[in-house]
Amino acid sequence: MSSSADPAAGRERSGEAQVQAPPVADARGTPVLAADRVRKSFRIGDRELEILHGVTMELHRGEVLAVTGPSGAGKSTLLHTLGLLERPSEGRVLIEGRSAWELSLNERAALRNRRIGFVFQFYHLLPELTALENVLLPGMISDSVLLYRRRRKRAHQTAEDLLERFGLADRMTHRPPQLSGGERQRVALARALFHDPPILIADEPTGNLDTATGERVLELLFAEQERRNLSLILVTHDERLAARCQRALYMEDGQIGMDSGSPIPT
Amino acid sequence: MFRLFLSLRYLRRRRTNLIGVLGVGVAVWALITILSIMTGFLEQARAMMRGSLSDVLVLPLQVERPDGRTPPLDPEPLLAAVREDARVAAAAPHLVWFGLLSQVGRASTGVWSSSQYGHYAGVKMVGIDVEDEMEATELRASLEREPRYGSSVRDVDDPFGPPPGLLPHVAQLPRIVVGDQLFQVHNLARGREVELMTAVPDGDTGDWRTVRRTFVVAGSFRSGENDTDMQRVYLRRPDLVEFLGETRQYSEVLVRLQDYARDGEAVRDDLRERLGAAGLIHGEDPTLEVQTWEDYRGVLLRAIQNERVMMGIMLSLVLLVASFTIFALLSMMVHEKRRDVGILSAIGATPHGVRSMFLLIAFWEAAIGSLLGAAVGAWTATNIDRIELWLQKNLGVEIFDRDVYLLDHIPSVVEPWRVAAVVAGAFLSALAFAAIPAWKASRLEPLEALRYE
Repeated sequence: MSSSADPAAGRERSGEAQVQAPPVADARGTPVLAADRVRKSFRIGDRELEILHGVTMELHRGEVLAVTGPSGAGKSTLLHTLGLLERPSEGRVLIEGRSAWELSLNERAALRNRRIGFVFQFYHLLPELTALENVLLPGMISDSVLLYRRRRKRAHQTAEDLLERFGLADRMTHRPPQLSGGERQRVALARALFHDPPILIADEPTGNLDTATGERVLELLFAEQERRNLSLILVTHDERLAARCQRALYMEDGQIGMDSGSPIPT
Repeated sequence: MFRLFLSLRYLRRRRTNLIGVLGVGVAVWALITILSIMTGFLEQARAMMRGSLSDVLVLPLQVERPDGRTPPLDPEPLLAAVREDARVAAAAPHLVWFGLLSQVGRASTGVWSSSQYGHYAGVKMVGIDVEDEMEATELRASLEREPRYGSSVRDVDDPFGPPPGLLPHVAQLPRIVVGDQLFQVHNLARGREVELMTAVPDGDTGDWRTVRRTFVVAGSFRSGENDTDMQRVYLRRPDLVEFLGETRQYSEVLVRLQDYARDGEAVRDDLRERLGAAGLIHGEDPTLEVQTWEDYRGVLLRAIQNERVMMGIMLSLVLLVASFTIFALLSMMVHEKRRDVGILSAIGATPHGVRSMFLLIAFWEAAIGSLLGAAVGAWTATNIDRIELWLQKNLGVEIFDRDVYLLDHIPSVVEPWRVAAVVAGAFLSALAFAAIPAWKASRLEPLEALRYE
């Protein structure tokens, strides 16, 4: 595993461009997720505001990485860029070695569907669907009507197993408004894991939950990570949570200010 | 799969979608019902307009031709020439003249200010040969049709036969058969004596001279065509020839074909050429002398057809309004469901998938609405008469005045192709309007949509 902040970013912007080598496979093989000199800027009126200043990082199979830092440091923007929800202004995002933004629209959508699981702070469940249907949604998106009908039984079994394991056996037919915050986040976690993706991206997964409920969700999250050997990247403000991760990146002002290489001492 | 699943779920869970379904349904229902009734009226009108005519009319201009000859005043040569054509089923001569009708003994008290409601009536006297007329026109049906106001002739096969109970001196008089409405307006009765009066050119002096004669009403006929029933009087052609003292024995020949739809225009064109060459018509402008009944009534027929087209266009605006409702509902939905669009995109839905999902919602609304509207519309059009009578009975409002239209029922013809066209139109219109919000939904950036709360 290797990752680096991008101290050259400022120099590049001021014309002192330095060529950075793209992420290369180390002894553990190709990283499942990597950012290569990623810049992201937004235009606000006439002004261009750069949020990410050439971030380069890697995430390997089975690795758990926390991204911390103060508000406005660019943590969520980095996560969204890595999750292919936001196109970088410059640089590349590599998913299992493939430069995602060079792929077609449909190929990127397929990556989001099958290779990346998302868990959001605000759960983002569809209110019209039951818990079970929300978990089944990635399967419905990936399959045609005929294919889904053929696989329906197995898909239901997968979704039900996930919900049972997350303690939601008696909540399967409930809709999100009928569920507590913790239950909704567990449903969101089950949905993210439906296709058994290699990458799980969590944006402050406990940010909207009380401590006890958040703890329960985290237990499930880490248990599933271990069970499935997931590559987990999560954004958090909680230093204790970051301390439980194998590695932590500290972001500051759109750059990776510190890469722990090991858990940050609390 | 998610497109089908979510489109149906959104349709079911959001009750406002019912407005779109109802909008399309009501528009399709109204269109099909009204178009069916208009088609029924058109067919009825065509039948009525054709009723007293036949398939082809020969109206020879009986004046001297450029070659110095005059078309014969006797119809026989023309009838023989027409009947030579194997496509002709029957031909009948008419002698037509206009005159005034009054009841005997009441003429002197007549009020000339009105030709219909005084004691005089302006009438079209049509002299016919009964047997030929029965073959070539709808006279038999007009005689057999239940009179609304009049009194049927004693024997349909001999309509000018004497009505029962005539005094001997009256039985000697020539007889006429009058239109059903004329019968009512002038308070006629079967067996009553009436006087016909007209003016004819005097061959010696070149002036007009008046002639009058007493006839006996043998009964009435009902063609269903307003003008005919109000103005026409049938006489035996020899009686009319004698009454007018005319040398001319006919003014037109009505021709019935074996298959009008197939041969109508061809026979008309052949007759123009053949009769012109044989000197049986004047021939200078054969388009006026030989016409199909549709040529003859062309202006009126086109007017009715235009009315149906105009009605269709006007009612299509209702469809547009219904489609706009779908557009408005879907636009609202896209706005409300921005977050859902973001979630779907985040977990792998493509813009095409999102677009199809919203289009499918419009598709279901259009499908349910138009099929429901088509079913209810076809049922309404088929049962419009019973519905109208029920409404009349229960609300006490007469919606369709049968006396105004001279019809026993509200005519309605449900044409499957027209129903299909309306349903297809509703579909296309709804989908076209839905494409705009669906396209907008597909253009949403996932993150922008997710940030929307």
